[in-house]
Amino acid sequence: MNYQPSDFLPILVQLVAALAFIVATMLATHWLGPKRHSVLKDDAFECGIESVGDARTPISVKYFLVAILFVLFDVEIIFMYPWAVNFMGWVKSTSDVAITMFLEMLVFMGLLLLGFIYVIKKGVLTWEK
Amino acid sequence: MNAIIALSLFGISNLFLGFLNNRKILLPATLVFILIALGLNFADWNHEYYWFNNMLKTNNLSVNFVTIILLSTFLVVAISRSFGDDDEHSHPAEYYAILLFSAVGAIMMVTFENLIMLFVGLEILSVSMYVLTGSDKRSLRSNEAALKYFLMGSFATGILLFGVALVYGATSSFDIHGIAQGVAKAKEQMGGAYGPLLYSGVILIMVGLLFKISAAPFHFWTPDVYDGAPSIFTAFMSTVVKTAGVAATYRILSISFPSVYGLWGNPLVYIVCATLIIGNITAVYQQSFKRMLAYSSISHAGYLLITVLAKRPETNSSLLFYSLAYAIATITAFAVLMVVSEAQAKNGKADESFEALNGLANNNPLLAFSLTISMLSLAGIPLTAGFFGKFFVFSDAFSNPSSLFKWILVIAILMSTVGIYYYFKPIIAAYMKKGEVAKIELSPLYKFILILTTTLTILLGLAPDLVKNIF
Amino acid sequence: MSLITLIPLFPLIGFLINGIGFRHVPKSLAGIISSAAAFASFACALTLFLGFNGQPQIVHLFDWITVGTLNISMSFQLDQLSLLMLLIITGVGTLIHIYSIGYMSHDEGFGKFFAFLNLFLFFMLLLVMGSNYVVMFIGWEGVGLCSYLLIGFWNKNSNYGNAARKAFIMNRIGDLGFLLGIFLIINHFGSVEYSEVFSKIAEGGYSSGDKTLFYITILLFIGAMGKSAQIPLYTWLPDAMAGPTPVSALIHAATMVTAGIYMIIRSNIMYSLAPETLDIVAWVGLATALLAASIGLFQNDIKKVLAYSTVSQLGYMFMGLGVMAYSSSFFHVMTHAFFKALLFLGAGSVIHAMSDEQDIRSMGGLRKKLPITFITFLIATIAISGIPPFAGFFSKDEILAHVFEHNKLMWAFGVLGSIMTSFYMFRLLFLTFFGEFRGTEKQKHHLHESPIAMTAPLMILAVLSAIGGFFNFPHIFGGHASLAAFMEPLFEQSAIEHVAVDESLEITLMIVSVVAALLSAGVAYFIYVVKKTVPVAEGEETGLQKVIYNKYYIDELYDTLFVKPITALSNFFREVIEFLVIDLIVEGVGKLVKTLSSEVRLLQNGTTGYYIFAMVLSIAAILVWSLKSFLLG
Repeated sequence: MNYQPSDFLPILVQLVAALAFIVATMLATHWLGPKRHSVLKDDAFECGIESVGDARTPISVKYFLVAILFVLFDVEIIFMYPWAVNFMGWVKSTSDVAITMFLEMLVFMGLLLLGFIYVIKKGVLTWEK
Repeated sequence: MNAIIALSLFGISNLFLGFLNNRKILLPATLVFILIALGLNFADWNHEYYWFNNMLKTNNLSVNFVTIILLSTFLVVAISRSFGDDDEHSHPAEYYAILLFSAVGAIMMVTFENLIMLFVGLEILSVSMYVLTGSDKRSLRSNEAALKYFLMGSFATGILLFGVALVYGATSSFDIHGIAQGVAKAKEQMGGAYGPLLYSGVILIMVGLLFKISAAPFHFWTPDVYDGAPSIFTAFMSTVVKTAGVAATYRILSISFPSVYGLWGNPLVYIVCATLIIGNITAVYQQSFKRMLAYSSISHAGYLLITVLAKRPETNSSLLFYSLAYAIATITAFAVLMVVSEAQAKNGKADESFEALNGLANNNPLLAFSLTISMLSLAGIPLTAGFFGKFFVFSDAFSNPSSLFKWILVIAILMSTVGIYYYFKPIIAAYMKKGEVAKIELSPLYKFILILTTTLTILLGLAPDLVKNIF
Repeated sequence: MSLITLIPLFPLIGFLINGIGFRHVPKSLAGIISSAAAFASFACALTLFLGFNGQPQIVHLFDWITVGTLNISMSFQLDQLSLLMLLIITGVGTLIHIYSIGYMSHDEGFGKFFAFLNLFLFFMLLLVMGSNYVVMFIGWEGVGLCSYLLIGFWNKNSNYGNAARKAFIMNRIGDLGFLLGIFLIINHFGSVEYSEVFSKIAEGGYSSGDKTLFYITILLFIGAMGKSAQIPLYTWLPDAMAGPTPVSALIHAATMVTAGIYMIIRSNIMYSLAPETLDIVAWVGLATALLAASIGLFQNDIKKVLAYSTVSQLGYMFMGLGVMAYSSSFFHVMTHAFFKALLFLGAGSVIHAMSDEQDIRSMGGLRKKLPITFITFLIATIAISGIPPFAGFFSKDEILAHVFEHNKLMWAFGVLGSIMTSFYMFRLLFLTFFGEFRGTEKQKHHLHESPIAMTAPLMILAVLSAIGGFFNFPHIFGGHASLAAFMEPLFEQSAIEHVAVDESLEITLMIVSVVAALLSAGVAYFIYVVKKTVPVAEGEETGLQKVIYNKYYIDELYDTLFVKPITALSNFFREVIEFLVIDLIVEGVGKLVKTLSSEVRLLQNGTTGYYIFAMVLSIAAILVWSLKSFLLG
């Protein structure tokens, strides 16, 4: 099947429409909404407590580590969706491709597990030492 | 190709070895791992074979490149001295593991059959390098270098991917042989002319790779990053990464795009000349030995690219020989630099200037001698490996009928005379300048590596055919 | 690994052990290691010799340089010539190693000395074993280096250093000729392998007097002049006596200086086709023999006499080569190696006993104190003077007989030379060992016979000097000339015409030279033993004697002819050319590069944004340039 660039025109139209909607609504709220400035109103809202110090205080590196690990494993899980969707198809097929695929996923999971063990042993997930 | 699998597993096992309370085991273990991988690599000798659904392909050329990469890795690991005794701030297990992982990336870069594998290999190598560059967490320079490298590296990766996408658009293939067919087909259909898609794609891929081997004008990251990174990783970068980068560039240009030589050859001529001139000329003024080596690595990228450009049947062996000679000499130089700069440290900061080498020969004859041989080899003085490296490269260029190569040759020869000036600076400092370097105690392994690399350099300078016949 | 490869390997290993381990290897061990290395090589050489079947053998180690069609390999060739040389080098070498253990025992640089000796052996073996001219050249240069190192071994004395430098420079002049010869061979034959070059000549139908061959042979002969100390490049050899005496024996008498003769015998095919060169070789040899012998007449330094005697004997060998008596020359190389090594070692023994005194005017009457040294020295003296039945007689007379066939006048000069030889050798012997002791009391008290390590080699060499002549016992005495027969295959391809010498004539010639030698020995006996004449002190010589004592002022002549003009020229270059060319142009270029560098360096300003901007700009430029056809339509 040969695609011509013109076949992708609907995608372009959709992209332009989406962008235009966002820009338009942002501009609209900006122009339409009334503005009243006061000291209290412009103050940073801190649940009723008066704000103290700088917002850019150092945060424990553990926080980032946990966050990045979450993202990491989360992304790996995504690989399993297409695999799982296709797996029944392989099982039904006559060849032994299903076994191969199963083993490959096992290897993949094994590597992930090794990584997880490493993370735990490294003490990344223990919040307080 | 089992080397890839083995090295990946070894890398993981290295991570777990780190949990043992015995740091001493890491260095020998890593060395053994690399040797095993080297052995597995030789199993592919004389077998042309496709791996992983045609993703990788091994042949003798790739085996030779992998050998150089693993040998360099071996030497770098051997001179790492377990990364010091600072338990709190150094993580030898992780460093060794990352080195092994990046070797995997480098191997993928020299065996790829599919552009996706090129990208994956390149990323494995680059990301590892970003991390290792910043591994000296308390040093501002190291942090700055890592961030700079990361920023510019990701930029270059983007360019490479863009190029890959455009080439796919033009030839509808990721496979490097498939691309070659696609180019041929396009030529047939378009009557000798190609669309802008292919033109831009080829150039962007080339630029993305040239960035990694720091060819001018994409070299700007090199001095800052090499200077900022811990010396041991600079040694790794300037040998393994460069070899892999040049091999990848050569592979894709010679397999996929030989029929559009004019397209990438013309800009490459100017790039080569710019690289030679900028690398050599700028090195002259440097006061820091390490920074000088960074510029030296830029200039050697220029020499290596001459063979890629010359496109001769001998290119394979010239490229391999030059890479080998360069890698060995560079690692020797870094080995000396590391111990001397630490011994001469001021206020806890390693002194990497030329002055640190003053009077080195008085108490440390072995270090001074190894340094001398490596510098002579880098400068291309006869009876060292570097001379024959340059000789083969130049004769490749000379035997190319195009008159353009005569001019490249003139520039290359002029620039190698400039090179002699700055390569002799450390030798002069070590032997003639007054100064005091206390006797530096070296471990037996360290001494062995110094003697080994020095001997190899001289041996290859005496009898280059020993190796050249294999290549 | 074959035995052939082992031969040079042993001394190399010895050198590495002693060289790297200098000051770490204990003294007692260093000498033993070196001597064992030399002996192991000798044993290998002997085994090969005994098992030799007459067929040349080539051992290919590896391809060394491959450039275009020229292929230079590292390979060894074993044939009659290299085998004999191997035996001489390793055999005499071993004896001298053992001797040195005793001689150098008090020296600080003991280990260094043995390292150098082993290195010398290695290169010398390379020289004679190489199967092409380039390997020979490596050995050639290597032995030159070792010679330099060993002449200047006592490097705290600047005179010795100068002597070493002189040897090196003189040799370089010769080496240049050799090198040019090799280039010409490569240019003309496209190969440096002996076998290829020689078979090309044999099959190429070269006529006698071919121009190319003339140039090649002359250039090679210039190389030989330097190494084998022929006029005009001989003056370094007497000065080379500054080195330790075993070195003089091994390098400057028995082995290295015969390298030139080896080379010419090796290239005999070319020489046989170049009669002009042969004439030059013969006359240069004769002139050298006479000049050196006459200088030897009035020298007072025991080693200097021997040095001039060496130069003179080398002259005889070249004279033999010049009349195509290759095997006779080689025979003389061999016997000379025995008796000259013996003479030097004997002199060493004397010097050792005299606490480093070398002036024969202060010696005398040593035969009672040093009996073994005396007897062996006597044997060597008789041998070199050409008195039967000792070795020198046979070899020298063989050369003279061939010379007689070639040119009667040359023969007459040759006999004159041997008269002088006999005179100065017996003069040396009588002044040293006969009469009354003329040295100081302290020296007299110290006199002693040398240790067994030194006398044993003396005795072995004395036996060889005595019987060495029978290796090539001539036909007229019922011998088989076995050496000549053994070497015969080497000359198969060259066009040598030998006129059979009339037997009665040959015997007459022998009688003439023997009587002459005996007579001059008698004269020496009369002057120095009966009349007890002692050479006059320094500076009191008169007339011709003064000229000869000062070596005909050859050194001074060279100084005026070559050294001074060159110094003047180099002054001119230093003052004028250096300023105009070096300072202005060369340094200017250097400064230009430096200035450029300081400017280009500023490109690297550390700002990531700027770096990326430069990259993008470059990519854009390349793209625009490549795509200009599309952009412009």
